[in-house]
Amino acid sequence: MRHTRLTRRSTLAAAATLAMPSIARAQAAPIKLGLIHPVTGALAGAGGRCRLGGQLAIADINAAGGIKSMGGAKIEALLGDAQGRPEIATQLVDQMAEAGAAGFTGCFASNLGLAATQAAAKYGIPFAIDSGIADAITTRGLKNTFRFFPNNTTATTDAMAALDAINKKAGSPAKTAVIVHEDSEFGTNSVKLQAAKLPLIGIEVKALLPHATPTRDFTNIVLRIKAEKPDIVLISNYENEYVLLARTLVQQRVELMSTYSISGGGFNLKFAKEAPQVAENMIDFNHWHNPKDPRATAFRKRVEDSGQFYSWELPFGYFAVKLLADAWERAGSADKEKAIAALNASTFSDHFMPYGPTKFTDGQNSGAHPVALQIQQGDMHVIWPDSFADVAAVFPRPKA
Amino acid sequence: MKAPLIVVGLVLALGPFALTSQSLVNFAMLTVVSAFLGQCWNIAGGFGGLTSFGHTIFFGTGAYTAAILQTRWGLNPWLALPAALVTGSLVGAAIGAAAFRAGLRGSYFALVTLAFAEVFRVLSNSLDFTRGGLGINIPLGMGAGNFQFADRRSTYAVALAFLVLATAAAAWLKRARFGARLAALRENEDAAAALGVNLVRTKTIALALSGGLTALGGVLYAQTYLYVDPAISFGVERSVEMLLVAMIGGAGTVWGPILGAIVLHIIADVSRSWIDTPGFAPMLYGVVLLVIIGLLPRGIIGIWERWRA
Repeated sequence: MRHTRLTRRSTLAAAATLAMPSIARAQAAPIKLGLIHPVTGALAGAGGRCRLGGQLAIADINAAGGIKSMGGAKIEALLGDAQGRPEIATQLVDQMAEAGAAGFTGCFASNLGLAATQAAAKYGIPFAIDSGIADAITTRGLKNTFRFFPNNTTATTDAMAALDAINKKAGSPAKTAVIVHEDSEFGTNSVKLQAAKLPLIGIEVKALLPHATPTRDFTNIVLRIKAEKPDIVLISNYENEYVLLARTLVQQRVELMSTYSISGGGFNLKFAKEAPQVAENMIDFNHWHNPKDPRATAFRKRVEDSGQFYSWELPFGYFAVKLLADAWERAGSADKEKAIAALNASTFSDHFMPYGPTKFTDGQNSGAHPVALQIQQGDMHVIWPDSFADVAAVFPRPKA
Repeated sequence: MKAPLIVVGLVLALGPFALTSQSLVNFAMLTVVSAFLGQCWNIAGGFGGLTSFGHTIFFGTGAYTAAILQTRWGLNPWLALPAALVTGSLVGAAIGAAAFRAGLRGSYFALVTLAFAEVFRVLSNSLDFTRGGLGINIPLGMGAGNFQFADRRSTYAVALAFLVLATAAAAWLKRARFGARLAALRENEDAAAALGVNLVRTKTIALALSGGLTALGGVLYAQTYLYVDPAISFGVERSVEMLLVAMIGGAGTVWGPILGAIVLHIIADVSRSWIDTPGFAPMLYGVVLLVIIGLLPRGIIGIWERWRA
């Protein structure tokens, strides 16, 4: 008579077989998240980096076991290219909503964000803005829209406070300024506030020099700067013009205590690496991570090790997703209303931005602030506020 | 043969009202808006041979008219429709009078319209009246009385009404004496002048008519997306789209722009939905356009004409 031996292996196999249906039942349905960015067209670079940040966050959340309060539900990305057109952003919201999206992040540019958040509001689906600085995104009364990052009013107001603090710390050597700005929304908006605020911090504005985008030769503008002999030059323009102006200032040997930009389009690590002599000691007021947080350093290294260029858009895309995931985790559900309630009550602090825990007022995180950055020895450093600064400001910069 | 075509047309036009999918309705709405703008271009460019590269001037004028009327003067947005019809027509008449009195035609006229569009972009970028580069946010306030619709079927209904209006204008041009004068000057200006057609007057009226209708599209855009800025309003891409829709479908025909819009939007949407590689969808779109233009010089409607012949 032949007996079938019940070995440990066969027992485990039988147990696994019996348990399989219940395990399969326990696997939670994925949560669909729409990521809407311009990944083609003029905004493709920055939009693509926002998307990449979001994808990294999704990978991290899923690798760590998904949304635990929902039985380890994984997040599934729905990717959409808004091509820089508000009507396409709206179309993507509709398509993704019908595909079952429980949340959205995006859209890098304010005009895309305005259109997409409004479209998502019709479905009541939560929308975490990852970039798009226009105040109106969160001041229109949309209940579904949340911005973890600073808005325009905060950015421009803080920028003047930072300049004042940096100047005073050095003994207030800067008394005069020239403002160079591009003539569309971004530059126009910044320059009005700067021109009004600079006299209040003891800096006389000697000239406002607007230029078109694109501008391919800054010689005349730089010669006018030279004639005005300002202590500092304030710059508000986009990437190519920023770099070209900075180069021309060096080529024309303009003696300045510093340049100071607000959301300087070309002020990034690529510029610091490619034109170190030009970029050295330039100051920008912009978004950045908390350099004292080791998680930030590790995140930057991870991005750079993968061959990508690191910029502030990456943590923006990353934490927009994390913010939503935190809401789902606390709500224990991807239900739209529960997630929005969880976002309103959010005290999300598992991040490495210089903000502290979130506190949303009408969808805007009131604790979010940009920082003053300076390129020193080819790298980006925070120089203001002191609580997040990793180096002291070099101001005025040494004469050539 | 006409009856089945009318049935198909009615089903396509009225079908979206039965749809519950907002994305499908949105697709239909974008297609109809595109067909409407293409038809507006067609009235001047197709029937009159006034090949404009800057038709977005009128679109932007309408969009800014809607935005400024509400945000500066607090007027009801429905009033923007007649206002835009007037401002668009006036801008068309002004540009037409200036260009045609100077005897500009063909590629010179095309370049002038392109230049005017750039002038409008720079002006709207610089003036406080238009809030410069900041653009204008229209306050959110959903409701039919406020010309803001939560259900896209309502927006679609307005767009469809505009398309019917523009198509009726095109059909009228096909039969009316004024349309015959336009066709005559399109084919040979010197011969038309010799026959007694007042070239400047006829072309200016055509551009004013086209401009006024196009401005309605700008109002609809402003009321749908609630934000206008210089690039959205006066950017060259929209001009190109209007021109392409008419050319692909069949310029100078009544149904060409509608066919063109349907085909172009299907290609754009399918390529966007099926292909995830960034940049590949627009490239495919461009290739398909080249093929259509290369193989069908009379537009898609040329296939129908050839088949009937």
